Amino acid sequence: MGLLSDPEYGSVKWVIVLKKVHKPLSLLLYIGALVWFIMLGNKEFNNETYFSENALLPGLVTNDFNGEHSAKQFFNEFLQELEDKYEFSDAMPVPWLVAKMSQLHLEVYTHNFTLNYPLGNEQVYTGTNVYGILRAPRTSSLEALVVTAPYRSLSSHQKGTAAGIALMLAFAKFARPQKYWAKDIIFLITEHEQLGMQAWLEAYHGLHSDAETFHTSLGTFWTPGTPVFDLGKLMPGFSLNGDHKKCLNPGKLKGRSGSIQAAINLEFHTPKIKYIEVKIEGLNGQLPNLDLVNLVHKLCVKSGVHHSFRNSYSWIRSRNKMDDWMNGFWTMFDMVIAQIDGVPDGNHGLFHRFGIEAVTLEGREATDPAGKAPRAQALSTATFYRLGIALESILRSLNNLLERFHQSYFFYLLAATNRFISIGQYMPSLCLLCVAMLVKALSLWVSIPQEGDDDSDKKTKEKTKKLAKEKHSDSESAGEEKSEDTPLRLRKIKNNSDDVVPGEKEKTELKRKVKLTDESSMSVVNIGANYLLVHLIGYAVMNSPVILSHIGAKYNLPSEVSVFYGLIAISVFLIFITPVVPRLVRTARITHEELSLVNILLLIELSTVCLAVGMQNFPLGFVIAMLYTPLALITSVVVKGQSRLSSVLLVLKRVICLLVHPLVAVTLSMIVFSNILFPEEPFFDMMARGRDAAMQAIMFSIVDSMIYGNWLFNLATAVLLPIWIIFWQISCIKVDSPALK
Amino acid sequence: MESVRRLLLYNIFFIVFSCIHCDVFKEELFIKSLPPSHLYTHFQFVTLVNSDTSSFHSHLAPRSLVEVISRFHVEELHLTLTEGQWRHNQWGYPVLDAAPGAELYAWFSADVVDVDIQWKKLTSTLSGLFCASLNFIENFNTVIPQMTLWPTGAVKAGQNVTSHLRYASLPREIVCTENLTPWKKLLPCESSKGFSALLNSRMIHNTNYHSVGVHVRKNCISNDCSENNLEIKQTVGLVYDYDILTSSEWSFRKLYGQGLPGACPLSSDSKIYVDVTSNDTQPFTLIPPPHSVVLSQRGGSDVKLAIYDVKPDGQMINIGIKHNRNSDLPVPIPPPLYFNRYVLGYGKEFGGIVTELTNNCWTSINVVVLENAPWWLPIQLSTLRINGEAESSLIISQYYSPGRSRQKPYHLELLMKLPPRSTTTITIDFEFVFLKWQEYPPDANHGFYIGSALILANLPTAKNYTSLPNTGTTFDSMLNASKLWYPIVFRTNGAMVSLPTPDFSMPYNVICLACTVVALAFGPLHNICTKELVLKPVGTPVSLLQKVFNLFKRKRD
Repeated sequence: MGLLSDPEYGSVKWVIVLKKVHKPLSLLLYIGALVWFIMLGNKEFNNETYFSENALLPGLVTNDFNGEHSAKQFFNEFLQELEDKYEFSDAMPVPWLVAKMSQLHLEVYTHNFTLNYPLGNEQVYTGTNVYGILRAPRTSSLEALVVTAPYRSLSSHQKGTAAGIALMLAFAKFARPQKYWAKDIIFLITEHEQLGMQAWLEAYHGLHSDAETFHTSLGTFWTPGTPVFDLGKLMPGFSLNGDHKKCLNPGKLKGRSGSIQAAINLEFHTPKIKYIEVKIEGLNGQLPNLDLVNLVHKLCVKSGVHHSFRNSYSWIRSRNKMDDWMNGFWTMFDMVIAQIDGVPDGNHGLFHRFGIEAVTLEGREATDPAGKAPRAQALSTATFYRLGIALESILRSLNNLLERFHQSYFFYLLAATNRFISIGQYMPSLCLLCVAMLVKALSLWVSIPQEGDDDSDKKTKEKTKKLAKEKHSDSESAGEEKSEDTPLRLRKIKNNSDDVVPGEKEKTELKRKVKLTDESSMSVVNIGANYLLVHLIGYAVMNSPVILSHIGAKYNLPSEVSVFYGLIAISVFLIFITPVVPRLVRTARITHEELSLVNILLLIELSTVCLAVGMQNFPLGFVIAMLYTPLALITSVVVKGQSRLSSVLLVLKRVICLLVHPLVAVTLSMIVFSNILFPEEPFFDMMARGRDAAMQAIMFSIVDSMIYGNWLFNLATAVLLPIWIIFWQISCIKVDSPALK
Repeated sequence: MESVRRLLLYNIFFIVFSCIHCDVFKEELFIKSLPPSHLYTHFQFVTLVNSDTSSFHSHLAPRSLVEVISRFHVEELHLTLTEGQWRHNQWGYPVLDAAPGAELYAWFSADVVDVDIQWKKLTSTLSGLFCASLNFIENFNTVIPQMTLWPTGAVKAGQNVTSHLRYASLPREIVCTENLTPWKKLLPCESSKGFSALLNSRMIHNTNYHSVGVHVRKNCISNDCSENNLEIKQTVGLVYDYDILTSSEWSFRKLYGQGLPGACPLSSDSKIYVDVTSNDTQPFTLIPPPHSVVLSQRGGSDVKLAIYDVKPDGQMINIGIKHNRNSDLPVPIPPPLYFNRYVLGYGKEFGGIVTELTNNCWTSINVVVLENAPWWLPIQLSTLRINGEAESSLIISQYYSPGRSRQKPYHLELLMKLPPRSTTTITIDFEFVFLKWQEYPPDANHGFYIGSALILANLPTAKNYTSLPNTGTTFDSMLNASKLWYPIVFRTNGAMVSLPTPDFSMPYNVICLACTVVALAFGPLHNICTKELVLKPVGTPVSLLQKVFNLFKRKRD
């Protein structure tokens, strides 16, 4: 800061250059970031995957899975059972599963959980998970592997998982008499998709909602310990704390094993699948260790099962470099899109938060609802035997693990089933975006006029400065030029010690400094108050859905409607009220310098947020940076009394600003998305569909954040919204030009 | 002079003779089916030595062990080496429970001044004797249980037993054949004859659970306990899995890989007990038929035992069962008291240990729970919760000794009354600590072991109870031995936590990189230092005559 607050820096070369080039430089950085991102798909920019963990020893054992017959039998019996007894109900055939597992001599337990739906009329849902533990001989149950399958009823709109469950049981039957297991294997069948999984995991790790010891605060975001606006006291009828606390009651487990090392989730609806899709994206964009992903892909190859990851199919290898690049890019892009919302695309995603590496194997046919794979029709069909071999080799490989997964990469993007982009390779694209913002911040900082606000003073000062400068340059002569790159502070000291500098200058400088500090401290308080207030508004909005849904419930509105329109109302209110807020917290009008300082702070905050989010969930950070960097670059302090052209531009800027409002952006993207999905619909239908989709999306993100601890909603409301509000303030408030004073 | 000498000789003869008669060796085997899918076999080899005469002159007791006992003034010693976990809620109770890994506890006699030094010496010696890593027992993993462990043998009246007790367990110890071989060497017949011939290490290590143990104590002979003898009991507990054996019809050949080649000729009593209580519900036939079947009524449970009296005649015996018909799946009845222990939370900051005790009985049970956490897992007494309550009426008495970093483990003992038909949850929280980098074990990311908790319970019923009464030495003492209550010490399962671990692959990378750089630098440097730069003459081509001339010139050099 000493360097930047040096009064002489205005004349330094790099400052002059920066002032000139910052706009094209930022643009260049922005384009550079995009180009870098696109280049990542190219083979030259990513790497072949490899095994880091030697202990895995993939594919070293001879497979002797012999459960094909029993798998078929389980499959048929299970379907029969479902058709006979569960055709019209969503319940899980718990007795059948318990009976089958006990016959295999597993330790069988059931697990009940309850969800008190936090919004609206507070419905209560219950569910049951069934799990059986295969106790490894001669171990004391310290480590475990999990094989899991979600249960889907016949009436479910999703593909069933009957074959997955059958395969799991057949594998359990095969694995039970083996004496080589070094880790327990837990066979788990969950109900209600991710809800059951989350409940089971929370129960396994002992995150009970009723206990009040400190470890409960590790569990969910909504705990009694976290400070929440206690509106319950202000508004009788709303008890916020209670709602959050009892959102998901995971219940208790009667039996458990040791610490879970890895989990495999099976989603096979029929044994006659064409290929396996390996799903990896987890909660908040967390990914399993690359070693596990590799292991699954490699062992699929070895067991003769076709496999794919998004746009990359194991049976398609093109020789064309361009095709390769495009395939790689689209695979990566798909992965990025899928990770943005932070919603896991399978039950495996919930394991990651607990430090458990997990993937989902989904069986797909040639005509799959998820999308058509090229040339899938011609592939040979997999059988229970092949799938069983694949599962056996994966689990035996995991059984070899001596340590937890700790080698290899945890942060990566996949460009193909066998190519990856490590964090070191993709981070530069995000960094470039943030650097663009920081460059703008720096240029703003150097162009803040450092002279006092007094008009008369200023001119005299300028004169003295000039005078001093002339003298200064005279005295130092040619040496001045060379000392350009020496630290400025040093030079200053030199100056002070120099006898030639007149005492007059020192005096004025001192005076000026005192004034500057006076002024800046004044403005810092005001700016800070505004800043804090805006962030508090964001925090309040984050906590508003529960209240909104309660209000809606009183008028019998569905909670998604009340929350959606409630948020719209809040946003509109904020759009009108926030430009006035800085005037409320201070007496005088806001000055140009203050607003510039706000702008600088904002840019720094935004770039920090993007980097911090990008470290954990790169796609989310990248997309935020992509959306907000243009806004950050075009937003500047508006000066009163402008030409017509610039006022037109200002309106345009405001429109752009409104477009990237989180709520507007979500709604717009949903409308565009529905347009892509249903291109034939008329405009208004499309709008309505988009609105409904946005409603659902917002509702899901709120519920996800409450039940699973998804960050998206919290991030959008508590961090992005305040940032947006300040952008809006900057583009709405007109200030006097510093030159006009 | 001659007569005196003769008298002395007679005396020595007499002493030796009497000693031979006072040494007794007995071997026993107890077999019990643990429905639905397991089989428990328990071997027990008992040597009784009259300790009043010099214990060095015993022909049956292992001298190496007896020497250790007398040298370090050990009153009572229990050592078990176990692989696997006894599943109490499914299998019921074992004859002797053991913690996974190695477990050692001993009482020293009252005249030992510095118990810690003796303890260290004892563990080091036993480590050599049993080829186990008992030498890793230090002060930082030794506790002095206050209420949980009580001597089973004779104790002098008025002696402070707890101050001379030391307990340690090594949960990471891996038990293998190298521990079984020295253990077998302590037996009078070693593994050539007798029941120990069945202990074929190849088959033992195919079981689901195996535990070898040595238990030494002093027994009273007379009523006033003025005379006592040394009892050395060597045990092996094995649990087989029918699924791994591929059939539920067991026989000695299937279990041990061979038949029993008769009893040990040195043993005075060789008996095989087979629990045939389940014959009523699931009929099976023992082949060959037992010599006798007795009914033992003990504490509300009726147990039928088939007894084989094995003679040292060298005849091969292969005992097995044949099912009469395929019966239904028997449902295991949970024992009166069972428990579960697990680690709470995730992440690398906080966690908790939970011990769940379920009293399945109609009356309340008094238990002592000993929580023993290593120093790197600081448990805080302030976070102790019983069923989620800080102040619980269930606790009758409590002892807590906070640990010290690298010196002393955390040690908590609770005397509790478990209400009938209830589950009691004991939760205590801990913080993870950073270790110094040399303190991480190899494979640091494997995780760190937390030892078992000890639970001393006074059971009101003998259901599932197979232990011998305190006064008994052999299995016949178990018959009809009804008591007021049945004391037993359980070990819960252990747990594993992963402490914050640095990336140990980083130094490895650095070494690789540094070596590469050095190697790359070495080549050119070596070249520069050893080779000479010589200007190559570039000029007129040499004529043939000149070449020949040069050849000669070189030869001359």
